[in-house]
Amino acid sequence: MISRSSLFIDKLLYVSTQKGNWVYGVLCVIMLFCAFQMRLIVVDTDPENMLERSHPARTFHNETKQTFAMFDAIVVGVIAPTGDIFTQQNLVAIDSLTQHILSIDGVVKRDVMSFSTVDNITQGDQGELIFSWMMSAPPESDVEARDIASAISRLPMLEGTLASSSGNAAAIYVPIKDKSESYRVAQDIRLFLENSGTSNSNADSRDASSALQWHITGLPVAEDQFGVEMFVQMGIAAPAAGLMIFVLLFVFFRNLTLISAPMVVAIATVIITMGALIGMGFTVHIMSSMIAIFLMPIAVVDSVHILSEFSDRYKPGQKANEIITTVVEHLFKPMLFTSLTSSAGFFSLMLTPIPPVQIFGAYIGFGILLAFVITLTFIPAYISRMSDTSLQKLQQSLHKGRSDTLLQRGIDRVRYVALNYKSVLIITFAMVSAVSVWGITQIQINDNPVRWFKSEHEIRVADRALNQAFAGTYNAYIVIESDHKTESAERILAASQIPDSLKQWKQETLTLLRQETKDNRLSQLSLLIDDALFDVTDDGAITALEALSKRVETIKRESKVFQQPENVALLDNLQAYLNEQALVGKSQSLSDIVKVVNRELRSGQDKDYVLPTTQAAIAQTLLQYQSSHRPQDLWHFVTPDYQKTLVWLQLTSGDNQDMTQVIKLVDDYFAQNPLPEGLRYQWAGKAYLNVVWQENMVAGMLESLLSAFIIVFLMMVVLFRSLVFGALAMLPLTITITFIYGAIGIVGKDYDMPIAVLSALTLGLSVDFAIHFLARAKEIYKEMGNVNATLNAMFDEPASAITRNALVIALGFTPLLLAPLVPYITVGIFLASIMFISALVTLLVLPAAMIMFKRWVFKEA
Amino acid sequence: MRVTTFFSENTKLFMVWAIALFVSATAFAAQPSEQQASSDMTLDIAAIVKKAEQVAYYSGKDGKSMARMLIVDEQGRKQMRQFIILRKDVTTEEGADTGDQRMLVFFSRPTEVQGTVFRVEKHAGLNTDDDRWLYLPALDLVKRIAAGDKRTSFVGSHFFYEDVSGRAIAQDDFTLVSQTDTHYVLKATPKMPQSVEFTHYIVEIDKRTFLPSTINFYKGDNNYRRVEAVSVETIEGHPTVVRSKVSDLASGGYTLMEFKGVQYDVDLPDSIFSERSLRVPPQAYIN
Repeated sequence: MISRSSLFIDKLLYVSTQKGNWVYGVLCVIMLFCAFQMRLIVVDTDPENMLERSHPARTFHNETKQTFAMFDAIVVGVIAPTGDIFTQQNLVAIDSLTQHILSIDGVVKRDVMSFSTVDNITQGDQGELIFSWMMSAPPESDVEARDIASAISRLPMLEGTLASSSGNAAAIYVPIKDKSESYRVAQDIRLFLENSGTSNSNADSRDASSALQWHITGLPVAEDQFGVEMFVQMGIAAPAAGLMIFVLLFVFFRNLTLISAPMVVAIATVIITMGALIGMGFTVHIMSSMIAIFLMPIAVVDSVHILSEFSDRYKPGQKANEIITTVVEHLFKPMLFTSLTSSAGFFSLMLTPIPPVQIFGAYIGFGILLAFVITLTFIPAYISRMSDTSLQKLQQSLHKGRSDTLLQRGIDRVRYVALNYKSVLIITFAMVSAVSVWGITQIQINDNPVRWFKSEHEIRVADRALNQAFAGTYNAYIVIESDHKTESAERILAASQIPDSLKQWKQETLTLLRQETKDNRLSQLSLLIDDALFDVTDDGAITALEALSKRVETIKRESKVFQQPENVALLDNLQAYLNEQALVGKSQSLSDIVKVVNRELRSGQDKDYVLPTTQAAIAQTLLQYQSSHRPQDLWHFVTPDYQKTLVWLQLTSGDNQDMTQVIKLVDDYFAQNPLPEGLRYQWAGKAYLNVVWQENMVAGMLESLLSAFIIVFLMMVVLFRSLVFGALAMLPLTITITFIYGAIGIVGKDYDMPIAVLSALTLGLSVDFAIHFLARAKEIYKEMGNVNATLNAMFDEPASAITRNALVIALGFTPLLLAPLVPYITVGIFLASIMFISALVTLLVLPAAMIMFKRWVFKEA
Repeated sequence: MRVTTFFSENTKLFMVWAIALFVSATAFAAQPSEQQASSDMTLDIAAIVKKAEQVAYYSGKDGKSMARMLIVDEQGRKQMRQFIILRKDVTTEEGADTGDQRMLVFFSRPTEVQGTVFRVEKHAGLNTDDDRWLYLPALDLVKRIAAGDKRTSFVGSHFFYEDVSGRAIAQDDFTLVSQTDTHYVLKATPKMPQSVEFTHYIVEIDKRTFLPSTINFYKGDNNYRRVEAVSVETIEGHPTVVRSKVSDLASGGYTLMEFKGVQYDVDLPDSIFSERSLRVPPQAYIN
C-alpha cells in the first residue's frame, strides 16, 4: 500500500520536476477554460433559496402568494419630522410620487397601495353608502388633508399599514411583477424623488427640519442591494485576502520568486473552483461568494509546509529537484491528511438541508483537494526550475537570525507556559470548557436577513424608521383552509333523478363538465342547468332541473366555508388575540372587511362594527365591498370559492426569534381554541420561511458537525494508527469550538447563519495544527526517546511552522472585515479567532496532555 | 329627448339592467339605416354618437331581461351573478317620454345574495342625480346609495357601473379616427379627465346596427381595458346585445355577461317601481 502510493508519488514528482512545461500547460489550459466559464455568472440574493425549491414550506408559500394574488413589494415610506404627514403639501408630494409610480413599467398597478389608489367607504349626510377614492386628487387645503387622516383612522385595513397610527408617516406599497425588476423600479422612484426636489438630499437647501424623509425598502430592494454588496465583497475583500497572504508569505520567506508559487496555487485554485461552480450552472449566493476568500488561505497552507521544509533542507549546490522530491515524499502523508480533514469539514456541510450551504461546502471541499493536487504538481515543477541564485538567496534570508523574530519570541513564551504550568493549564482549560458548555446552553438562535446589512446601511435605517412608525414591514400569513370535500358536480348530476327527455342533455353535460377544471365544475353545472331550464318546455324536465339546481346551489353555498358566520367569527377571535400580543404589530383578515362594510351599511357608528350573524348577510355585505374601485382586494384575504382564507400579520421585527415566538403564540391559541373539524391552518410569508430554513440549518449543522467530528476522528485514528493519538488530535479543536460557541452564548451574540456554518468547517481546518504537532512529536520522540526533550524540541521548528500556518489562515480571513455585509464580517472575525485560538490551544494543551497521559501516549509512540 | 336622458351627466351606476351601450338588453331600435350612414361623406360625428346611444339604450317603452355574469379572474377562477332587470321609461301624462327611467334589478344567484335588489330612479335632468336604493334581505336593510363615482365595479365584475348605465356622450369629445366598410371608429377624449382613469377610448360603431361593438380604453398608449359586444340578436325588431365582455387586459381577467329572455314592451305597471318591491318583489314580473 505504502510502496504503491510512494510509487505513485515518485511518478508524479518525476513528471512535475522533469516535465514542468506539461504541468504549466495543463494548469494554464484548465484555468483559462474555467475563467471563461465565469462569464455565465448568475447572482442569487433571494433568501428563499435557503430552502430547496421543492421544500413544502416554500412551495406552500408560493402557492399562497399565487392563490391570494400577492406580489413582492417595494415599500416607500415617508416620515414628516414635524409629526404630521397630513398636510396639503405632504399629500401633494405623496400623490405626485404615486402617479409617477403608476407610470412605471413592471409595477402591478391595480395593487399599488397609496392614499391616491385606495378606496374609502363612508356614509353621506343622509346615511347613504359612499365608495370613493381616498384621495382622488391631492387636497387643496390642510383641512381637506385632515379629512383623509380621519377617514383612514376609520379603516382598520389601512391604519398602521398605509399611515402610521400617530399620523406622522405614510407608506406606498409598490408590488412588482418580477422581483428582478426591483432595482430598476426603485432607481426610478429615487430619481423621481431627487428630481422633484422632495428627496432627503435636496432638503437641506430648504428648512431641513420640516423636509419629508423618504425611505425605500422592502425585500426586493434589499435583495438587489445585497447582490451589489456581494460583488463588492468578491471584488475587494477577496483580492485583499490575496494581498494579505502575499505579504505574510513575504514576511516568512522574504523571497518574491519563491512566494509567487503558492500565490499561483491559490489563484489557480480559486479560478478553477469558481469557474467550475459557475460553469456547472450554480448561482453565486451569499455563501458561494465567499469561496474565493476561503480557498485562498487554505490553498497556500500545503505550499507553506513544502517551502518551509525545502528551505530547511536545501543546501547550496544541491539539486533542487532531488531535494523537492524528498520533501514532498516526506510531507505527502500529513499534507494528504490535512487536506482530507479540511475538505471533510467542508463536505460535511453537504449534510445540511440548505442548498447554498451544500454548494459552498461541496466546492470548497473540492477546492481544497484541488489545491492539494496543484501543490503536489506545480510547486515541485516551479522549484525545480528556479535558478541557483534565487535558491541561494532564499537560503540566506531564511537562515539568518531566525530566533530573533517576533514569531519565535512569542513561541518561546508559549513554550515556557506550556512546559512549566501543565497542571494549571489542564485545570484552566477544564474549567473554561465547563463554563463554555454552560455558555452553549445559553445560545440564542436567531437571524434576520435585514440585519445582514450594517447598522448604518440605508436599508437598516429605513427598516428602523418604518417599523417604528408603522405596524410592521415583516409579513407572515396564517392560511386557514377547509378540507371539506364538496360532492363533485359529476356525481351530483349522475345521481340526479331526471326524466328521459333529459338523458341526452345529461350525457352532454357530463362531457362538458369534464372539460372544466375541477374547481369550476360546480359553477359550470349551475350554468348548464340554467341554460337547459331556458330551453326545455315540458313540466317534468323543468321540475327535475329545478330540483337539481336547488341541490347544486345548496352544495355550493355550504362549500363557502369562510362566508359562514362561525368561521368568520373564528378569524375575528384569532385577531383579537393576536392584536393583544406585543410582537404582532397588526393583523388583518376577512373579518375586518366585513365589519367595516357592515358598519357603513348600518349606523356608521362603532356599535355596528360587528359581524353579521348569517351567511347570507356576510355574502351581501361582501357584495357591497366588491362594488368598490378595488373589488379584487377581497381576494387577498379569501379565495373566490371561500374555502381558504388568509390572516395577514404585520410584525415590527424580522428576527426569527420573534417570529418563532409568534408561531408559538398561535399554536397555543389553537390548542386552547381548536379549529373546527375540517379546518386546518398553515403558515406562509417571508418571516415564516426564514424561521423554517433557520430550523433546518440548526438541525442540519448539528448533524454536519457531529459527522465531521466522527469522520475526522476516524481519519486521525487511521493516520496515527492509535486511538489515543486520535483522541489527542481532536482535543484542541474540541476545546476551541466549545470555547468559541460558549462565548457566543455568554456574550449573547445571536447564533445565525454564518456562525452555524462555521462550526463544521473549522473542525476540519483546526485539526491541521494537531496533526502536524502530533506527527512531528512522534518523529522527534523516535529520534530522542525522551519525553521532555521531545516536547522542548517541538517548540523549535514545528511550533513555528504551525504558528506560521495559523497566521496565514487567520490573517488571510481578516480582509472580510472590510466587507460591507455583516455575515462576511462575522465569518472573518470568527474564523480568524478560531484559527488563532486553536493553534494556541494546540501548543498549550497537547504537551500538557501528552505528559499527563505519557504512559499511553509514548508507549504507543 | 330620450337621448339626452340616457346620456345625462347624472346617469348613475345602477343602470345595469339598462345594460347600456353594448349590452343594451332594452335596446330601442332607433332604426339603423345603412343608406344614411355609410354613404354620407360629410359625416356628422355628433349624429353618429347620438344615434348609437339611442340604439344602445332606448328600445321599447319598457323591458325585461334575465342576465347572467360570469366573472373570471386571471387565475381562471369563476364567480357567477344572476339577476333579472326590469326597466320602464317615464312618460308625461300625455304619454311623451321624459327621458327618465325606472329600474329594478333582482339578484337570484349566488343563493346567498338572493333577494338583493337595486332600485334606480334615473333622472334626465343634467343637474339631477339619480336616486338609488339597495335592499339587502339578510340584513333587512334598505340603503340609499350615494351618487358617487360611476367607475366602480358592478358587484365585483369587470363591468363598471358606467359600462352598464352608459357613459354620457356629453362627457367626451369625439373625433372620427377612421371608418371601415362595417364600422365607424371614433376616439373619445374626456372633458373632465380627472374624473376618469382613462385618457381616451376608441369606440367602434357598427354601421348597420349603430351598436358600439368594441370599446378600447387607454391610459396614454396603454390599452388596458376592452368592452366588446360578443353577440347581437335582433329581438322584436330591436338589435340587442345578448353577450358582452369586459376584459382587464393587464391581468387577463374578464367578465362575460349574457342576456336571456329579453322582452320589450311588456307593460310593466308603474306601481312595481316602488320601495315596496324591494322587500316584496313583484313575482308576476320576475318569473
